[in-house]
Amino acid sequence: MSELQERGIEIQIRDLGVTFQDNAGHDVQALTGVNFDIYKGEFISLLGPSGCGKTTLLRTIADLQEPTEGTVRISGMTPKEIRLQQKFGFVFQQPVLFDWRTVKKNVELPLEIMYQSKEDRSKRADEMLEMVGLKNFSDHFPRQLSGGMQQRVNIARAFGIRPEILLMDEPFSALDEFTKEKLHEDLLRIWRQTNKTIVFVTHNIQEAVFLSDRICVLSPHPGRLSAIVDVDLPRPRTLEMKESPRFTELVYEVRGKFEGGSV
Amino acid sequence: MKKIHKIFDHKWASTLLWIVLIIVAWEIAATVVAANNRSPENILPHLYQILAAVFSTSKVSQGMTAVMVVLTSAKATILRALAGFLLGITAGFFLALVMKLSGLLEKMLFPYLMLIQLIPVLGLAPIILAITGDINSSRVIIAAVLSFYPVATNTLAGFKSVDQDKYDLMYTYAAKQRTIYTKVLIPSAIPYFFTGTKIGAPMAITASILVDTLQGDGGLGCILSQSLRHAMSIYVFWLIVFFSAFVGILSTYLMTWIEALISPEKRGIRKARREYKKSAVSQKVSVCPQISIRRRKAE
Repeated sequence: MSELQERGIEIQIRDLGVTFQDNAGHDVQALTGVNFDIYKGEFISLLGPSGCGKTTLLRTIADLQEPTEGTVRISGMTPKEIRLQQKFGFVFQQPVLFDWRTVKKNVELPLEIMYQSKEDRSKRADEMLEMVGLKNFSDHFPRQLSGGMQQRVNIARAFGIRPEILLMDEPFSALDEFTKEKLHEDLLRIWRQTNKTIVFVTHNIQEAVFLSDRICVLSPHPGRLSAIVDVDLPRPRTLEMKESPRFTELVYEVRGKFEGGSV
Repeated sequence: MKKIHKIFDHKWASTLLWIVLIIVAWEIAATVVAANNRSPENILPHLYQILAAVFSTSKVSQGMTAVMVVLTSAKATILRALAGFLLGITAGFFLALVMKLSGLLEKMLFPYLMLIQLIPVLGLAPIILAITGDINSSRVIIAAVLSFYPVATNTLAGFKSVDQDKYDLMYTYAAKQRTIYTKVLIPSAIPYFFTGTKIGAPMAITASILVDTLQGDGGLGCILSQSLRHAMSIYVFWLIVFFSAFVGILSTYLMTWIEALISPEKRGIRKARREYKKSAVSQKVSVCPQISIRRRKAE
């Protein structure tokens, strides 16, 4: 923990509240009174059942959602300023690939938007595809790939722009268990290589414990932060750790933090 | 039974069956007509009679055989249809773009676009002829009007098919509005645009032929009405019927072909398939190819 704090605060969230209006015009509080900091280079998970506002929180950090109350500051700047500087990498639950572009061209898309030269784009895309193990598929089209491979392309694209902060919204929830485990290991390896801050939304306790430095446990109705759990499993993490007593303890501890008991 | 299923896996097998069925039905009807009418060729001649007219060397008009008459006038009709079609699809595409750019314009225009479809083309033709005073440009305009509507509505549907995730993704990249159009919206709408052109192309040809019948200065429709009034052999009429059906179908296939030619995805998948076939033949292996087209799981 102290090691994390030494790296300094990257994202500061203060008294954050988000209120939506439902179809009938009633106010629905998606988030209320959220206060916490995210450290530089940290892997932090936002964990909770559906309706707890974890995605809303992530989208507010990404400037995809305006806060109704409170503030989000990223290195002293607003999310909008950070977004306009193109420092976010956002990974959606769906791969959001473009069918008419090859795998490589999909990875190059954000680099095109950022006006990088053709050679730089191509080089960077090759690097990224190698990193996610899709080097031999660069000329394939998204629909020729399995769901797991598509999500790898998505991750390669997100890391390709060298983001300061990577925001991931349940990226693996639609995948089968085997693919998911493989991608967990890949993600941790890439994260170690690049040292970016990752904010990871999930509803899966095991996934959160396996990946994170810290877990923000959120509770629904209204969405709020109920606890932050430090995960002291050593790094690099291996799949065997999932069998360790400490892993089981942590899962148990996290589950206990949900208000209203078991989830 | 299984064998039959297997045969019909091939598209051409069902096409062939349809052609045979139509020929049989036609011939039965022609036989009935021939038995009960004095001049059956005016109602339904036998197919071999039409075929004979194709190869007949007898001159039907101004020293030209029936086929020559049809082909000469077809040139004028098809060129006008093509001009109108190109005009119509360009206008359709840009109108869809403008409607996408301005939600207000869409609300004002879209419900009334359908009115164009509701006006019968023959009713519209004299009005446009009166406005332009020129039969040639009226033909082009009517062909344009008819091909315009399916292209405009389909292209707009294509723009609207882009899901929120894609907009969100572009937003996180801080992409400019123009970039979103060129890199996301327009490529997404291309397959829809082609669906529109596939409907519009035969309509443009039909429109061009119909307008030809209004005023005589060449063109398939003009010859068609002359033939119907017995100014020349009735077989010219039958040739035109078959010829325009053929050109109409061909125009749709032409659109499919152009789409496949310019779509990078279709091109890439075709290439992958060819390579796989080649490698499978040379190595005599039957492993599942890495090119099965899998639709992304829609959640």
